[in-house]
Amino acid sequence: MGMKLKALLKSPWVFHLSTGSCNNCDIEVLDCLTPRFDIERFGMLLAGSIKHADVLLITGSCNRQSVERLKRMYEQVPKPCLVVAIGECAMSRGMFIHSYNCPVPLDKIIPVDAYIPGCPPKPEAILAGAVKLIQKVSGTA
Amino acid sequence: MTREEVLKDIQTKFGEVIIEVFDKSPKRAYIEIKPTAIVPVAKYIFRDLGARFNIASGVDAGTHIEILYHLTIESINLLISLRVKLDRENPAIDSLATSFEAANWIEREMHELLGIEFKGHPDMRRLLLSDQWPEGVYPLRQDYEEWDETAIRDRGV
Repeated sequence: MGMKLKALLKSPWVFHLSTGSCNNCDIEVLDCLTPRFDIERFGMLLAGSIKHADVLLITGSCNRQSVERLKRMYEQVPKPCLVVAIGECAMSRGMFIHSYNCPVPLDKIIPVDAYIPGCPPKPEAILAGAVKLIQKVSGTA
Repeated sequence: MTREEVLKDIQTKFGEVIIEVFDKSPKRAYIEIKPTAIVPVAKYIFRDLGARFNIASGVDAGTHIEILYHLTIESINLLISLRVKLDRENPAIDSLATSFEAANWIEREMHELLGIEFKGHPDMRRLLLSDQWPEGVYPLRQDYEEWDETAIRDRGV
């Protein structure tokens, strides 16, 4: 891993992107930011704009309409960036795998660095995933 | 008007276009009418009986395509579902969007998902499907088949 990527892990700013989720994963992501789970103790901060983001938290099953937007947004993230797929839908589209509107899973569209399974994943699981990702990138695992 | 009076009133006014009245429960009645008469019947229930247009729902039943127009008369707590059965090969019906605005988007949605033609709709643009979606392919039809060659339908394990 490059120097740049290691440096930004001190305080990775996350951007939360929903590609057509049912909102449950999004609620769990927001839970992580509350004082109870407090993902800020790992330096994570929710970025308001994708141009400030280091990590993309992606939920949802990537439907045909949002895939176009997803690609456009991925081009705007300052590189290097990390992508985390949160929830069953972002991993394999879950129950929507045969849907006419969800043709391709997320990791066939953009490179994904970490997967957090669950429908929805608990905030603890999201925290564990985030910590594992930081450890993997910084080489302290 | 009470519930019974409302149902009787509709039946006396539109007796010749009503095919069947199915009184399902105290809250609910289905009235099947001829597709050609949808505009006057729906307009009458909406304007004169003071109903609220909830939603319309379309379904491909295999032998025909069916639309249910759900109208609620809240003062008597009655949900009237107007049922029309359309020809599956060439489904077409008069648009209600000129009668009440709330029918506009749901008719656009039914048009692109089921291929029903709404005659006289003011703005029949695409609403939900993506721009890459081919014309004339309707995903909620029973005989829908995958057209996208690039689609991946396994979980990769």
